[in-house]
Amino acid sequence: MNAPVLLRTDELSLRFGGIAALDGVDLAVRPREIVGILGPNGAGKSTLFNVISGFLRPDAGRVELLDHDVTDLLPFERVAAGIGRTFQHLRLFRSLTVEENLLVAQHRHLQSGPFASMLRLPGHRRDEREARARVEEVLELVDLTPWRGSRPTELSYGTLRFLELACVLSLKPRVVLLDEPASGIAQREVEALGPLLQRVRDEWGLSVLLIEHDMPLLLSVSDWVYALDFGRVIAEGAPDDVVEKDAVLESYLGRTRREPAAARGRKRAADAPA
Amino acid sequence: MTAVAAEPRVEAPPLGALRWRPSRAQLIGAGALALVAAFPAVLPNRDFAFFVGAYASVYAMIGLSVVVVTGYAGLCALMPYSFAGIGAMVTGLSMASWGWPFWLAVPLAAVATVPVALLVGVASVRLKGLYLAIATLTLANALGETFFRWGAVTGGSAGWTVTRPTAGPVDFGSDAAFYVLTLGSVLLLVWMVHGLRSARTGRAMVAVRDNEVEAQALGINVYKTKLVTLLIGGMLAGVGGAFLAALQVAPTAEPFRSPISEATSFLLVATVAIGGVDRALGAFIGAVALVVQQQVFAGAEFFYPFFGIYTGLLLIVLLKFRPGGLLQIARMQGEMIRTRPAVGIPVTAGVLGLNVGLAYLILRLS
Repeated sequence: MNAPVLLRTDELSLRFGGIAALDGVDLAVRPREIVGILGPNGAGKSTLFNVISGFLRPDAGRVELLDHDVTDLLPFERVAAGIGRTFQHLRLFRSLTVEENLLVAQHRHLQSGPFASMLRLPGHRRDEREARARVEEVLELVDLTPWRGSRPTELSYGTLRFLELACVLSLKPRVVLLDEPASGIAQREVEALGPLLQRVRDEWGLSVLLIEHDMPLLLSVSDWVYALDFGRVIAEGAPDDVVEKDAVLESYLGRTRREPAAARGRKRAADAPA
Repeated sequence: MTAVAAEPRVEAPPLGALRWRPSRAQLIGAGALALVAAFPAVLPNRDFAFFVGAYASVYAMIGLSVVVVTGYAGLCALMPYSFAGIGAMVTGLSMASWGWPFWLAVPLAAVATVPVALLVGVASVRLKGLYLAIATLTLANALGETFFRWGAVTGGSAGWTVTRPTAGPVDFGSDAAFYVLTLGSVLLLVWMVHGLRSARTGRAMVAVRDNEVEAQALGINVYKTKLVTLLIGGMLAGVGGAFLAALQVAPTAEPFRSPISEATSFLLVATVAIGGVDRALGAFIGAVALVVQQQVFAGAEFFYPFFGIYTGLLLIVLLKFRPGGLLQIARMQGEMIRTRPAVGIPVTAGVLGLNVGLAYLILRLS
């Protein structure tokens, strides 16, 4: 665990009125690591994502990427720095096709300005060719090639989740924050998600910060898990260790005492309310 | 992941899809365009028809700014005619007072809109939806009371005298020649605005319209995108204003003051919405439809007061049932003709015949 830290939060705090949404959160993500975050509703998980990606300003504390302070950067500047994210509720461009959604995600890799495009200058043509080639690759990665011309309204929720994932991966981020990617999608898609995340980590060298209520998925893909409650980190460690800690059981699984050894671990976690 | 949605909708385009080869639909479109373009030549009052045709082209130019600002980026900026006014007055000033040629006045007219466009751009970042609409209406009013009453810029109540341009041996002085020039120019601008939509900047505009938060999450600078949108929109309207000045020969600032300025801006936005607000061609189709209707109603004295009501009703019906405007209807009819010719051809012919018949009836009855 001595690898350099890719993403670090340092004593992040944020209050909404009298409620401490984040209360001194320290967290570290290393290169090529999938880090899971678990915690009950209202624990501050999504707020943490909003602060890391720049949609919320913390009252105190810092967000660091590769030892650079990015706390003052705007969301689009953090994308350029290498932080990509998805949202708990789907946000896609409804009037654009699947292919165009992915082309929008290529925005920061392209250079041509409006006048070059209006006059179809060579720079614009080269840009469009490269962008479309990259979109082809991403379409293939998430198996969406047949739906490239469809609009989001014509596709199932699960397919859209994968499109959203494809969009954020198109940014070529260093670390990607996924907010409940498995919520509301079919079981067989959930089962495809874990291997996809591991493939992205191994082949693209990406780090993933994952909020997920699907415990089997979270525990099986994560290299490290943080448990949050009331805006505080109440436990961290290897997945199987964290779910056995009393504090986690109490806050998240609603139990106060350990059960017999036979029922422990993933099997028990699978029964947790999603 | 396995198949989830019902059926793939569209086949993969061939790799050479970026290379342009005219399809049958495009050829039909070009033919229809040529017919519309030649239409004024066969009318009895030919010179007047060319003048009206040039008017339609100028309206389409200004309408293109609505396509970019409202259609692409979804910003309710309701002052396209004020931008055109800036272009028109600067054209008059530079040509009549400084002796500039028209070809230099056009880029100047485009650049002259930049300060106001920046102002609206900054406002558009803070003000959403109807609040931006109100702010731009107020700004249009303010410009009408200040800039468009400034004698040094507007040429006073007499306005400016502008000569239509020449290019070498070609003189665009006559209504017919000027009609050809404006029509060619507006088609060039339509082509440019169309290209914007399927490129980096245009996609960013649509992304900002659809979902500002997601656009930011995908690395788009929303602030910059809105500024660029207003700048391009302002320039398009400014160019339209330059052609408007040359068309009118003696432009004055009168129509750019309240309430004509606001009313014309509204009419322009409605026109583009009728034609199809999210496509460059929509501005052209809307302008043609507007001018044809205007002339039909103007020819029918009794019905003329109903023109506004008619346009309003048409707008409401289209927005409710065909938000893509006349362009969407044309595309759907084309699709119907292709897939079910037995139904499509009679229906299309019937709708066209009904419209021509109605126009004829209105003109006859009065």
